[in-house]
Amino acid sequence: MTTSLTLATAPVVQRWRPRPGAIVGALMLGTVLLLTALVPLLPGYDPMGQDLRAALLPPFTDPAHPLGTDALGRDLLSRLALASAVTLGMTVLIVIMNAVLGSLVGILAGYYGGRLEALITLVSNVTLAMPVVLLLIAICAVLRPSAGLTILVLGCTWWVGYARVTRNIAAALRRQDFVVSPLTQGADSVWVLTRHIVPNVWPHTLIIAATDVATIVLITSSLEYLGLGVQPPVPSWGSMIFDGQRHLAGDPWLALLPGLMLLLAVGGVQFLSQQFTAETRGGLLRKGGMR
Amino acid sequence: MLLFIARRLALAVATVLAVVTIAFVLGRATGEPGALLLPDNATQADVEALNSALGFDRPLLLQYLDTLAGLVTGDFGDSYRLRESALGLVLERVPATIELAFWAFVIGLALAVVAALAIQLTGSRVLRAIVGWAGALRQSVPDFFFALLLVLAFSVLLGALPSLGRTSYASLVLPVVTLVTGQFVMYLRLLDAALSEQAGQDFVRTAIAQGQRRSTVLFTRMLPNAIVPVLGMAGLNLGGLLGGTVVVEVVFAWPGLGKLLTDAVSQRDFPIVQAGLVFVALAFVIVNTAVDVLVRRIDTRTAAA
Repeated sequence: MTTSLTLATAPVVQRWRPRPGAIVGALMLGTVLLLTALVPLLPGYDPMGQDLRAALLPPFTDPAHPLGTDALGRDLLSRLALASAVTLGMTVLIVIMNAVLGSLVGILAGYYGGRLEALITLVSNVTLAMPVVLLLIAICAVLRPSAGLTILVLGCTWWVGYARVTRNIAAALRRQDFVVSPLTQGADSVWVLTRHIVPNVWPHTLIIAATDVATIVLITSSLEYLGLGVQPPVPSWGSMIFDGQRHLAGDPWLALLPGLMLLLAVGGVQFLSQQFTAETRGGLLRKGGMR
Repeated sequence: MLLFIARRLALAVATVLAVVTIAFVLGRATGEPGALLLPDNATQADVEALNSALGFDRPLLLQYLDTLAGLVTGDFGDSYRLRESALGLVLERVPATIELAFWAFVIGLALAVVAALAIQLTGSRVLRAIVGWAGALRQSVPDFFFALLLVLAFSVLLGALPSLGRTSYASLVLPVVTLVTGQFVMYLRLLDAALSEQAGQDFVRTAIAQGQRRSTVLFTRMLPNAIVPVLGMAGLNLGGLLGGTVVVEVVFAWPGLGKLLTDAVSQRDFPIVQAGLVFVALAFVIVNTAVDVLVRRIDTRTAAA
Protein backbone atom coordinates (compact mmCIF):
# COMPACT_ATOMS: atom_id res chain seq x y z
CA MET A 1 0.00 0.00 0.00
CA THR A 2 2.71 2.43 1.02
CA THR A 3 4.87 1.61 -1.99
CA SER A 4 2.13 2.36 -4.49
CA LEU A 5 1.53 5.66 -2.76
CA THR A 6 5.20 6.63 -3.08
CA LEU A 7 5.20 5.63 -6.73
CA ALA A 8 2.18 7.79 -7.41
CA THR A 9 3.45 10.93 -5.70
CA ALA A 10 7.16 10.87 -6.48
CA PRO A 11 7.06 12.14 -10.07
CA VAL A 12 4.65 14.92 -9.14
CA VAL A 13 6.92 16.21 -6.38
CA GLN A 14 9.89 16.12 -8.74
CA ARG A 15 8.06 17.95 -11.49
CA TRP A 16 7.10 20.83 -9.26
CA ARG A 17 10.54 21.47 -7.83
CA PRO A 18 11.33 25.03 -9.00
CA ARG A 19 14.69 25.86 -10.57
CA PRO A 20 16.93 28.20 -8.55
CA GLY A 21 16.32 30.89 -11.15
CA ALA A 22 12.59 30.74 -10.57
CA ILE A 23 12.97 31.33 -6.83
CA VAL A 24 15.26 34.31 -7.43
CA GLY A 25 12.85 35.60 -10.06
CA ALA A 26 9.86 35.31 -7.75
CA LEU A 27 11.75 37.18 -5.01
CA MET A 28 12.79 39.96 -7.42
CA LEU A 29 9.35 40.47 -8.92
CA GLY A 30 7.73 40.06 -5.49
CA THR A 31 9.81 42.94 -4.10
CA VAL A 32 8.60 45.27 -6.84
CA LEU A 33 4.96 44.19 -6.51
CA LEU A 34 5.01 44.52 -2.71
CA LEU A 35 6.52 48.00 -2.95
CA THR A 36 3.96 49.03 -5.56
CA ALA A 37 1.07 47.76 -3.47
CA LEU A 38 2.17 48.75 0.04
CA VAL A 39 3.87 52.14 -0.28
CA PRO A 40 0.63 54.03 -1.21
CA LEU A 41 -0.78 52.81 2.13
CA LEU A 42 2.00 54.47 4.14
CA PRO A 43 1.14 57.74 5.91
CA GLY A 44 3.85 59.81 4.15
CA TYR A 45 2.83 58.77 0.61
CA ASP A 46 3.01 61.85 -1.64
CA PRO A 47 4.56 61.39 -5.12
CA MET A 48 3.76 64.92 -6.36
CA GLY A 49 4.23 67.30 -3.42
CA GLN A 50 7.31 69.52 -3.83
CA ASP A 51 9.43 70.84 -0.98
CA LEU A 52 12.42 72.77 -2.31
CA ARG A 53 13.90 73.18 1.18
CA ALA A 54 14.24 69.39 1.39
CA ALA A 55 15.59 68.86 -2.16
CA LEU A 56 18.20 66.19 -2.99
CA LEU A 57 18.15 64.47 0.40
CA PRO A 58 20.23 61.27 0.32
CA PRO A 59 18.55 57.95 1.18
CA PHE A 60 18.27 56.82 4.83
CA THR A 61 18.83 60.29 6.35
CA ASP A 62 15.35 61.71 6.91
CA PRO A 63 12.65 59.44 8.39
CA ALA A 64 10.01 61.43 6.49
CA HIS A 65 11.71 60.50 3.19
CA PRO A 66 13.20 57.00 3.64
CA LEU A 67 14.81 56.90 0.18
CA GLY A 68 15.54 60.63 -0.03
CA THR A 69 14.11 63.26 -2.37
CA ASP A 70 14.66 64.43 -5.96
CA ALA A 71 15.76 67.87 -7.22
CA LEU A 72 12.30 69.30 -6.53
CA GLY A 73 12.12 67.80 -3.04
CA ARG A 74 9.59 65.14 -3.99
CA ASP A 75 9.61 61.92 -1.98
CA LEU A 76 11.56 59.30 -3.93
CA LEU A 77 9.95 56.22 -2.37
CA SER A 78 6.47 57.48 -3.25
CA ARG A 79 7.53 58.33 -6.79
CA LEU A 80 9.16 54.92 -7.27
CA ALA A 81 5.97 53.19 -6.17
CA LEU A 82 3.78 55.29 -8.46
CA ALA A 83 6.22 54.80 -11.36
CA SER A 84 6.07 51.01 -10.82
CA ALA A 85 2.30 51.07 -10.87
CA VAL A 86 2.30 53.16 -14.06
CA THR A 87 4.91 51.10 -15.93
CA LEU A 88 3.56 47.71 -14.87
CA GLY A 89 -0.02 48.76 -15.62
CA MET A 90 0.93 49.96 -19.10
CA THR A 91 2.92 46.79 -19.74
CA VAL A 92 0.10 44.46 -18.74
CA LEU A 93 -2.35 46.35 -20.95
CA ILE A 94 0.05 46.30 -23.92
CA VAL A 95 0.82 42.60 -23.54
CA ILE A 96 -2.86 41.67 -23.25
CA MET A 97 -3.75 43.74 -26.34
CA ASN A 98 -1.00 42.11 -28.39
CA ALA A 99 -1.75 38.60 -27.13
CA VAL A 100 -5.46 38.90 -27.96
CA LEU A 101 -4.91 40.59 -31.31
CA GLY A 102 -2.07 38.31 -32.41
CA SER A 103 -3.79 35.09 -31.33
CA LEU A 104 -7.04 36.11 -33.00
CA VAL A 105 -5.24 36.90 -36.24
CA GLY A 106 -3.16 33.71 -36.02
CA ILE A 107 -6.10 31.43 -35.25
CA LEU A 108 -8.21 32.84 -38.08
CA ALA A 109 -5.29 32.57 -40.52
CA GLY A 110 -4.46 29.02 -39.49
CA TYR A 111 -8.06 27.85 -39.42
CA TYR A 112 -9.33 29.36 -42.66
CA GLY A 113 -6.04 29.35 -44.60
CA GLY A 114 -6.12 30.52 -48.21
CA ARG A 115 -5.98 34.21 -49.09
CA LEU A 116 -6.47 35.39 -45.52
CA GLU A 117 -3.43 33.39 -44.44
CA ALA A 118 -1.37 34.72 -47.35
CA LEU A 119 -2.29 38.30 -46.47
CA ILE A 120 -1.49 37.83 -42.79
CA THR A 121 1.83 36.16 -43.61
CA LEU A 122 2.73 39.11 -45.82
CA VAL A 123 1.80 41.65 -43.15
CA SER A 124 3.76 39.83 -40.48
CA ASN A 125 6.80 39.39 -42.74
CA VAL A 126 6.78 43.09 -43.57
CA THR A 127 6.45 43.97 -39.88
CA LEU A 128 9.33 41.64 -39.01
CA ALA A 129 11.52 43.29 -41.64
CA MET A 130 10.93 46.83 -40.35
CA PRO A 131 13.01 48.74 -37.85
CA VAL A 132 10.06 48.66 -35.43
CA VAL A 133 11.62 50.46 -32.49
CA LEU A 134 12.67 53.36 -34.71
CA LEU A 135 9.17 53.62 -36.17
CA LEU A 136 7.65 53.56 -32.68
CA ILE A 137 9.89 56.46 -31.67
CA ALA A 138 8.78 58.42 -34.73
CA ILE A 139 5.09 57.65 -34.26
CA CYS A 140 5.04 58.44 -30.54
CA ALA A 141 6.95 61.66 -31.06
CA VAL A 142 4.98 62.96 -34.02
CA LEU A 143 1.55 62.41 -32.48
CA ARG A 144 2.13 64.27 -29.18
CA PRO A 145 3.53 61.72 -26.72
CA SER A 146 1.24 60.42 -23.97
CA ALA A 147 0.76 57.22 -22.02
CA GLY A 148 -2.39 56.39 -23.99
CA LEU A 149 -0.60 56.76 -27.31
CA THR A 150 2.26 54.50 -26.22
CA ILE A 151 -0.22 51.85 -25.11
CA LEU A 152 -2.15 52.13 -28.36
CA VAL A 153 0.90 52.06 -30.64
CA LEU A 154 2.80 49.30 -28.86
CA GLY A 155 -0.43 47.40 -28.20
CA CYS A 156 -1.18 47.19 -31.91
CA THR A 157 2.28 46.51 -33.31
CA TRP A 158 3.95 43.77 -31.24
CA TRP A 159 1.63 40.88 -32.13
CA VAL A 160 3.52 39.14 -34.94
CA GLY A 161 5.13 36.60 -32.58
CA TYR A 162 1.72 35.52 -31.28
CA ALA A 163 0.22 35.34 -34.76
CA ARG A 164 3.03 33.15 -36.11
CA VAL A 165 2.88 30.59 -33.33
CA THR A 166 -0.91 30.41 -33.05
CA ARG A 167 -1.30 30.16 -36.83
CA ASN A 168 0.92 27.08 -36.93
CA ILE A 169 -0.96 25.44 -34.06
CA ALA A 170 -4.39 26.30 -35.46
CA ALA A 171 -3.39 24.97 -38.89
CA ALA A 172 -2.24 21.70 -37.31
CA LEU A 173 -5.39 21.40 -35.21
CA ARG A 174 -7.55 22.03 -38.30
CA ARG A 175 -6.60 18.57 -39.61
CA GLN A 176 -7.20 16.71 -36.32
CA ASP A 177 -10.10 14.28 -36.02
CA PHE A 178 -11.74 16.12 -33.15
CA VAL A 179 -12.01 19.23 -35.31
CA VAL A 180 -12.94 17.59 -38.62
CA SER A 181 -15.51 15.28 -37.07
CA PRO A 182 -17.90 17.90 -35.61
CA LEU A 183 -17.63 19.87 -38.85
CA THR A 184 -18.80 16.88 -40.90
CA GLN A 185 -21.68 16.45 -38.47
CA GLY A 186 -22.89 19.98 -39.09
CA ALA A 187 -21.22 22.04 -36.38
CA ASP A 188 -20.48 25.59 -37.46
CA SER A 189 -17.01 27.13 -37.41
CA VAL A 190 -17.69 29.44 -34.48
CA TRP A 191 -18.55 26.45 -32.30
CA VAL A 192 -15.46 24.53 -33.37
CA LEU A 193 -13.21 27.55 -32.92
CA THR A 194 -14.43 28.37 -29.42
CA ARG A 195 -14.78 24.78 -28.26
CA HIS A 196 -11.76 23.04 -29.81
CA ILE A 197 -9.27 25.49 -31.24
CA VAL A 198 -9.05 28.30 -28.66
CA PRO A 199 -8.67 26.02 -25.59
CA ASN A 200 -5.72 24.30 -27.29
CA VAL A 201 -4.07 27.51 -28.43
CA TRP A 202 -4.24 29.81 -25.43
CA PRO A 203 -1.59 28.06 -23.28
CA HIS A 204 0.92 28.81 -26.04
CA THR A 205 -0.23 32.44 -26.11
CA LEU A 206 0.35 32.61 -22.39
CA ILE A 207 3.94 31.38 -22.74
CA ILE A 208 4.79 34.01 -25.34
CA ALA A 209 3.08 36.67 -23.22
CA ALA A 210 5.18 35.72 -20.19
CA THR A 211 8.44 36.23 -22.08
CA ASP A 212 7.07 39.33 -23.80
CA VAL A 213 6.43 41.17 -20.52
CA ALA A 214 10.17 41.73 -20.04
CA THR A 215 10.63 42.98 -23.61
CA ILE A 216 7.72 45.40 -23.35
CA VAL A 217 8.95 46.84 -20.03
CA LEU A 218 12.35 47.45 -21.65
CA ILE A 219 10.84 49.12 -24.73
CA THR A 220 8.38 51.34 -22.83
CA SER A 221 11.09 52.51 -20.45
CA SER A 222 13.40 53.27 -23.38
CA LEU A 223 10.62 55.35 -24.94
CA GLU A 224 10.04 57.06 -21.58
CA TYR A 225 13.76 57.77 -21.28
CA LEU A 226 13.47 59.61 -24.61
CA GLY A 227 10.53 61.61 -23.21
CA LEU A 228 7.92 59.64 -25.18
CA GLY A 229 5.26 58.12 -22.95
CA VAL A 230 3.95 59.15 -19.56
CA GLN A 231 4.29 62.91 -19.26
CA PRO A 232 5.49 64.79 -16.15
CA PRO A 233 4.66 65.27 -13.34
CA VAL A 234 3.57 61.60 -13.37
CA PRO A 235 6.77 59.58 -12.89
CA SER A 236 7.96 56.51 -14.80
CA TRP A 237 11.15 54.52 -14.37
CA GLY A 238 12.55 55.74 -17.70
CA SER A 239 11.86 59.42 -17.10
CA MET A 240 13.15 59.20 -13.50
CA ILE A 241 16.44 57.78 -14.80
CA PHE A 242 16.62 60.56 -17.39
CA ASP A 243 16.06 63.20 -14.70
CA GLY A 244 18.57 61.55 -12.39
CA GLN A 245 21.23 61.47 -15.10
CA ARG A 246 21.90 65.19 -14.56
CA HIS A 247 22.79 64.54 -10.93
CA LEU A 248 24.91 61.45 -11.63
CA ALA A 249 28.11 62.94 -10.22
CA GLY A 250 26.75 64.22 -6.90
CA ASP A 251 23.56 62.26 -6.25
CA PRO A 252 23.77 59.03 -8.23
CA TRP A 253 20.95 57.29 -6.31
CA LEU A 254 18.39 59.40 -8.24
CA ALA A 255 19.18 57.35 -11.35
CA LEU A 256 20.27 54.16 -9.58
CA LEU A 257 17.08 53.52 -7.59
CA PRO A 258 14.63 53.55 -10.55
CA GLY A 259 17.22 51.49 -12.47
CA LEU A 260 17.25 48.95 -9.64
CA MET A 261 13.45 48.69 -9.82
CA LEU A 262 13.71 48.11 -13.57
CA LEU A 263 16.34 45.41 -12.98
CA LEU A 264 14.22 43.69 -10.33
CA ALA A 265 11.06 43.76 -12.45
CA VAL A 266 12.57 42.70 -15.78
CA GLY A 267 15.00 40.21 -14.22
CA GLY A 268 12.23 38.72 -12.10
CA VAL A 269 9.97 38.24 -15.09
CA GLN A 270 12.80 36.75 -17.16
CA PHE A 271 13.92 34.24 -14.54
CA LEU A 272 10.31 33.24 -13.88
CA SER A 273 9.41 32.86 -17.54
CA GLN A 274 12.52 30.72 -18.11
CA GLN A 275 11.08 28.25 -15.61
CA PHE A 276 7.84 28.46 -17.54
CA THR A 277 9.42 27.78 -20.93
CA ALA A 278 11.76 25.10 -19.57
CA GLU A 279 8.72 23.05 -18.63
CA THR A 280 7.24 23.40 -22.08
CA ARG A 281 10.57 22.85 -23.84
CA GLY A 282 12.10 25.08 -26.44
CA GLY A 283 9.51 27.84 -26.82
CA LEU A 284 11.99 30.59 -26.10
CA LEU A 285 14.58 29.27 -28.53
CA ARG A 286 12.18 29.00 -31.41
CA LYS A 287 10.96 32.52 -30.89
CA GLY A 288 14.51 33.87 -31.02
CA GLY A 289 15.65 37.26 -29.77
CA MET A 290 14.28 40.75 -29.89
CA ARG A 291 13.32 42.35 -33.13
CA MET B 1 16.68 29.46 -55.74
CA LEU B 2 15.77 32.14 -58.33
CA LEU B 3 12.15 31.97 -57.26
CA PHE B 4 13.24 32.40 -53.66
CA ILE B 5 15.31 35.47 -54.51
CA ALA B 6 12.42 36.96 -56.51
CA ARG B 7 10.04 36.42 -53.59
CA ARG B 8 12.50 37.88 -51.16
CA LEU B 9 12.95 40.96 -53.37
CA ALA B 10 9.17 41.44 -53.59
CA LEU B 11 8.97 41.33 -49.82
CA ALA B 12 11.79 43.86 -49.59
CA VAL B 13 9.97 46.25 -51.93
CA ALA B 14 6.72 45.83 -49.97
CA THR B 15 8.54 46.59 -46.73
CA VAL B 16 10.15 49.75 -48.05
CA LEU B 17 6.81 50.90 -49.48
CA ALA B 18 5.15 50.28 -46.12
CA VAL B 19 7.77 52.36 -44.31
CA VAL B 20 7.51 55.19 -46.86
CA THR B 21 3.72 55.17 -46.48
CA ILE B 22 3.91 55.26 -42.69
CA ALA B 23 6.44 58.09 -42.89
CA PHE B 24 4.16 59.99 -45.28
CA VAL B 25 1.06 59.53 -43.09
CA LEU B 26 3.05 60.64 -40.04
CA GLY B 27 4.27 63.71 -41.91
CA ARG B 28 0.71 64.74 -42.77
CA ALA B 29 -0.53 63.94 -39.27
CA THR B 30 1.79 66.61 -37.86
CA GLY B 31 -0.12 69.20 -39.83
CA GLU B 32 1.14 71.88 -42.20
CA PRO B 33 4.50 73.25 -41.19
CA GLY B 34 3.88 76.93 -42.12
CA ALA B 35 2.60 78.03 -38.70
CA LEU B 36 5.38 76.08 -37.01
CA LEU B 37 8.24 77.60 -38.99
CA LEU B 38 7.30 81.26 -39.08
CA PRO B 39 7.55 83.58 -36.08
CA ASP B 40 4.41 84.09 -33.99
CA ASN B 41 3.60 87.49 -35.49
CA ALA B 42 3.39 86.17 -39.08
CA THR B 43 0.12 86.85 -40.89
CA GLN B 44 -2.23 84.12 -42.07
CA ALA B 45 -1.30 85.02 -45.65
CA ASP B 46 2.40 84.44 -44.92
CA VAL B 47 1.65 81.04 -43.43
CA GLU B 48 -0.41 80.01 -46.44
CA ALA B 49 2.22 81.29 -48.84
CA LEU B 50 4.89 79.19 -47.14
CA ASN B 51 2.65 76.12 -47.09
CA SER B 52 2.03 76.41 -50.79
CA ALA B 53 5.72 77.07 -51.46
CA LEU B 54 6.47 73.79 -49.68
CA GLY B 55 3.77 72.07 -51.74
CA PHE B 56 1.28 71.41 -48.96
CA ASP B 57 -1.70 72.88 -50.83
CA ARG B 58 -1.64 70.20 -53.52
CA PRO B 59 -3.89 67.10 -53.54
CA LEU B 60 -2.77 64.41 -51.08
CA LEU B 61 -2.35 61.79 -53.80
CA LEU B 62 0.04 64.04 -55.68
CA GLN B 63 2.06 64.68 -52.52
CA TYR B 64 2.23 60.93 -51.90
CA LEU B 65 3.42 60.23 -55.45
CA ASP B 66 6.00 62.96 -54.96
CA THR B 67 7.30 61.16 -51.85
CA LEU B 68 7.50 57.89 -53.77
CA ALA B 69 9.42 59.67 -56.53
CA GLY B 70 11.78 60.92 -53.84
CA LEU B 71 12.61 57.29 -53.14
CA VAL B 72 14.01 56.98 -56.68
CA THR B 73 15.62 60.40 -57.05
CA GLY B 74 16.86 60.59 -53.45
CA ASP B 75 15.14 63.95 -53.01
CA PHE B 76 13.19 64.14 -49.75
CA GLY B 77 12.98 67.91 -49.69
CA ASP B 78 14.98 70.33 -47.57
CA SER B 79 15.16 70.35 -43.82
CA TYR B 80 12.69 72.95 -42.49
CA ARG B 81 15.20 74.39 -40.03
CA LEU B 82 18.55 74.12 -41.78
CA ARG B 83 17.34 74.67 -45.38
CA GLU B 84 19.64 71.90 -46.57
CA SER B 85 18.93 68.65 -48.37
CA ALA B 86 17.40 66.27 -45.78
CA LEU B 87 19.07 63.23 -47.32
CA GLY B 88 22.42 65.03 -47.26
CA LEU B 89 22.05 65.69 -43.53
CA VAL B 90 21.14 62.04 -42.96
CA LEU B 91 24.08 60.70 -44.97
CA GLU B 92 26.44 63.01 -43.09
CA ARG B 93 25.55 61.23 -39.83
CA VAL B 94 25.58 57.66 -41.15
CA PRO B 95 29.31 56.90 -40.63
CA ALA B 96 29.12 57.66 -36.90
CA THR B 97 26.20 55.25 -36.45
CA ILE B 98 27.77 52.53 -38.59
CA GLU B 99 30.94 52.86 -36.53
CA LEU B 100 29.00 52.00 -33.35
CA ALA B 101 26.83 49.28 -34.85
CA PHE B 102 29.73 47.64 -36.72
CA TRP B 103 32.01 47.30 -33.70
CA ALA B 104 29.11 46.21 -31.51
CA PHE B 105 28.23 43.46 -33.96
CA VAL B 106 31.77 42.25 -34.73
CA ILE B 107 33.09 42.25 -31.17
CA GLY B 108 29.84 40.88 -29.74
CA LEU B 109 29.73 37.98 -32.19
CA ALA B 110 33.45 37.21 -31.86
CA LEU B 111 33.26 37.11 -28.06
CA ALA B 112 30.14 34.96 -28.22
CA VAL B 113 31.88 32.43 -30.50
CA VAL B 114 34.90 32.28 -28.17
CA ALA B 115 32.70 31.87 -25.08
CA ALA B 116 30.47 29.24 -26.68
CA LEU B 117 33.52 27.24 -27.82
CA ALA B 118 35.07 27.52 -24.38
CA ILE B 119 31.90 26.18 -22.79
CA GLN B 120 31.79 23.25 -25.24
CA LEU B 121 35.51 22.44 -25.03
CA THR B 122 35.74 22.52 -21.24
CA GLY B 123 32.27 21.11 -20.73
CA SER B 124 32.23 23.27 -17.64
CA ARG B 125 28.85 23.65 -15.99
CA VAL B 126 30.17 26.38 -13.73
CA LEU B 127 31.33 28.46 -16.69
CA ARG B 128 27.97 28.11 -18.42
CA ALA B 129 26.10 29.02 -15.23
CA ILE B 130 28.24 32.11 -14.62
CA VAL B 131 27.90 33.36 -18.19
CA GLY B 132 24.18 32.53 -18.16
CA TRP B 133 23.45 34.45 -14.97
CA ALA B 134 25.58 37.44 -15.96
CA GLY B 135 23.86 37.50 -19.33
CA ALA B 136 20.40 37.34 -17.78
CA LEU B 137 21.28 40.26 -15.51
CA ARG B 138 22.59 42.31 -18.45
CA GLN B 139 19.42 41.64 -20.40
CA SER B 140 17.36 42.77 -17.41
CA VAL B 141 18.45 46.38 -17.73
CA PRO B 142 17.84 48.55 -20.79
CA ASP B 143 20.83 49.83 -22.77
CA PHE B 144 20.44 53.37 -21.50
CA PHE B 145 20.67 52.32 -17.86
CA PHE B 146 23.65 50.02 -18.44
CA ALA B 147 25.28 52.96 -20.23
CA LEU B 148 24.68 55.17 -17.18
CA LEU B 149 26.25 52.55 -14.91
CA LEU B 150 29.34 52.54 -17.16
CA VAL B 151 29.47 56.34 -17.11
CA LEU B 152 29.16 56.34 -13.33
CA ALA B 153 31.98 53.82 -12.95
CA PHE B 154 34.44 54.90 -15.64
CA SER B 155 33.78 58.62 -16.12
CA VAL B 156 32.50 59.89 -12.78
CA LEU B 157 34.33 57.66 -10.29
CA LEU B 158 37.51 56.73 -12.20
CA GLY B 159 37.61 59.68 -14.59
CA ALA B 160 39.22 57.36 -17.12
CA LEU B 161 36.92 57.65 -20.14
CA PRO B 162 34.89 60.45 -21.78
CA SER B 163 31.12 60.16 -21.41
CA LEU B 164 29.94 62.57 -24.11
CA GLY B 165 30.50 63.19 -27.80
CA ARG B 166 32.73 61.68 -30.45
CA THR B 167 36.14 63.19 -30.01
CA SER B 168 38.69 60.37 -29.88
CA TYR B 169 38.94 56.59 -29.92
CA ALA B 170 38.46 56.67 -26.15
CA SER B 171 34.97 58.10 -26.62
CA LEU B 172 34.09 54.98 -28.63
CA VAL B 173 34.69 52.68 -25.67
CA LEU B 174 31.64 53.25 -23.47
CA PRO B 175 28.95 53.29 -26.19
CA VAL B 176 30.47 50.24 -27.89
CA VAL B 177 30.77 48.31 -24.61
CA THR B 178 27.10 49.10 -23.89
CA LEU B 179 26.00 47.66 -27.22
CA VAL B 180 28.53 44.79 -27.30
CA THR B 181 27.36 43.31 -24.01
CA GLY B 182 23.77 43.19 -25.24
CA GLN B 183 24.79 41.59 -28.56
CA PHE B 184 27.14 39.14 -26.85
CA VAL B 185 24.44 37.71 -24.59
CA MET B 186 22.02 37.20 -27.44
CA TYR B 187 24.50 35.49 -29.77
CA LEU B 188 25.96 33.37 -26.99
CA ARG B 189 22.52 31.98 -26.14
CA LEU B 190 21.78 31.12 -29.76
CA LEU B 191 25.22 29.60 -30.35
CA ASP B 192 25.22 27.60 -27.13
CA ALA B 193 21.79 26.19 -27.89
CA ALA B 194 22.80 25.33 -31.47
CA LEU B 195 26.10 23.70 -30.40
CA SER B 196 24.42 21.71 -27.64
CA GLU B 197 21.86 20.45 -30.12
CA GLN B 198 24.67 19.45 -32.53
CA ALA B 199 26.48 17.62 -29.73
CA GLY B 200 23.64 15.11 -29.50
CA GLN B 201 23.58 14.32 -33.23
CA ASP B 202 24.61 10.97 -34.71
CA PHE B 203 27.38 12.34 -36.94
CA VAL B 204 29.10 13.86 -33.92
CA ARG B 205 28.90 10.61 -31.97
CA THR B 206 30.21 8.71 -34.99
CA ALA B 207 33.11 11.10 -35.51
CA ILE B 208 34.12 10.82 -31.87
CA ALA B 209 33.72 7.04 -31.94
CA GLN B 210 36.11 6.95 -34.92
CA GLY B 211 38.71 8.55 -32.70
CA GLN B 212 38.64 12.15 -33.89
CA ARG B 213 39.59 14.68 -31.27
CA ARG B 214 36.75 16.53 -29.59
CA SER B 215 38.15 19.91 -30.62
CA THR B 216 38.49 18.78 -34.27
CA VAL B 217 34.87 17.65 -34.32
CA LEU B 218 33.80 20.91 -32.71
CA PHE B 219 35.63 23.14 -35.17
CA THR B 220 35.10 21.22 -38.41
CA ARG B 221 31.67 19.66 -37.91
CA MET B 222 29.63 21.37 -35.23
CA LEU B 223 30.61 25.05 -35.53
CA PRO B 224 29.83 25.45 -39.26
CA ASN B 225 26.35 24.03 -38.69
CA ALA B 226 25.72 26.12 -35.60
CA ILE B 227 26.87 29.45 -36.99
CA VAL B 228 24.42 29.54 -39.90
CA PRO B 229 21.18 30.08 -37.93
CA VAL B 230 23.03 32.64 -35.80
CA LEU B 231 23.92 34.59 -38.94
CA GLY B 232 20.29 34.51 -40.04
CA MET B 233 19.27 35.81 -36.64
CA ALA B 234 21.93 38.51 -36.84
CA GLY B 235 20.34 39.88 -40.01
CA LEU B 236 16.93 40.07 -38.38
CA ASN B 237 18.48 41.54 -35.26
CA LEU B 238 19.89 44.50 -37.19
CA GLY B 239 16.64 46.35 -36.47
CA GLY B 240 17.05 45.79 -32.76
CA LEU B 241 20.67 46.89 -32.96
CA LEU B 242 19.69 50.09 -34.78
CA GLY B 243 16.91 50.76 -32.27
CA GLY B 244 19.37 50.22 -29.43
CA THR B 245 21.92 52.46 -31.13
CA VAL B 246 19.38 55.29 -31.25
CA VAL B 247 18.96 55.30 -27.47
CA VAL B 248 22.67 54.80 -26.80
CA GLU B 249 23.49 57.73 -29.11
CA VAL B 250 21.16 59.93 -27.08
CA VAL B 251 22.81 58.89 -23.79
CA PHE B 252 26.33 59.61 -25.03
CA ALA B 253 25.42 62.59 -27.25
CA TRP B 254 26.94 60.59 -30.12
CA PRO B 255 26.47 62.56 -33.36
CA GLY B 256 24.88 59.73 -35.32
CA LEU B 257 21.68 58.99 -37.16
CA GLY B 258 19.70 58.24 -34.00
CA LYS B 259 20.60 61.55 -32.40
CA LEU B 260 19.73 63.37 -35.62
CA LEU B 261 16.37 61.60 -35.88
CA THR B 262 15.32 62.11 -32.25
CA ASP B 263 16.33 65.78 -32.46
CA ALA B 264 14.45 66.20 -35.76
CA VAL B 265 11.39 64.52 -34.26
CA SER B 266 11.31 66.89 -31.30
CA GLN B 267 11.77 69.90 -33.63
CA ARG B 268 9.09 68.55 -36.02
CA ASP B 269 11.59 68.79 -38.87
CA PHE B 270 9.77 66.24 -40.89
CA PRO B 271 11.84 65.93 -44.09
CA ILE B 272 14.76 64.71 -41.98
CA VAL B 273 12.59 62.15 -40.15
CA GLN B 274 11.24 60.92 -43.46
CA ALA B 275 14.63 60.69 -45.14
CA GLY B 276 16.11 59.00 -42.08
CA LEU B 277 13.36 56.42 -41.71
CA VAL B 278 13.47 55.54 -45.38
CA PHE B 279 17.26 55.29 -45.34
CA VAL B 280 17.24 52.99 -42.30
CA ALA B 281 14.47 50.86 -43.79
CA LEU B 282 16.41 50.51 -47.05
CA ALA B 283 19.65 49.58 -45.29
CA PHE B 284 17.81 47.17 -43.05
CA VAL B 285 15.93 45.48 -45.89
CA ILE B 286 19.04 45.16 -48.07
CA VAL B 287 21.05 43.53 -45.28
CA ASN B 288 18.16 41.25 -44.34
CA THR B 289 17.62 40.12 -47.92
CA ALA B 290 21.32 39.55 -48.48
CA VAL B 291 21.66 37.53 -45.27
CA ASP B 292 18.59 35.43 -46.10
CA VAL B 293 19.91 34.59 -49.56
CA LEU B 294 23.39 33.92 -48.16
CA VAL B 295 22.08 31.60 -45.43
CA ARG B 296 20.05 29.69 -47.98
CA ARG B 297 23.08 29.40 -50.24
CA ILE B 298 25.31 28.09 -47.42
CA ASP B 299 22.81 25.89 -45.63
CA THR B 300 21.80 23.09 -47.95
CA ARG B 301 19.13 21.94 -45.52
CA THR B 302 16.98 25.04 -46.03
CA ALA B 303 17.51 24.92 -49.79
CA ALA B 304 16.06 21.42 -49.92
CA ALA B 305 13.03 22.35 -47.84
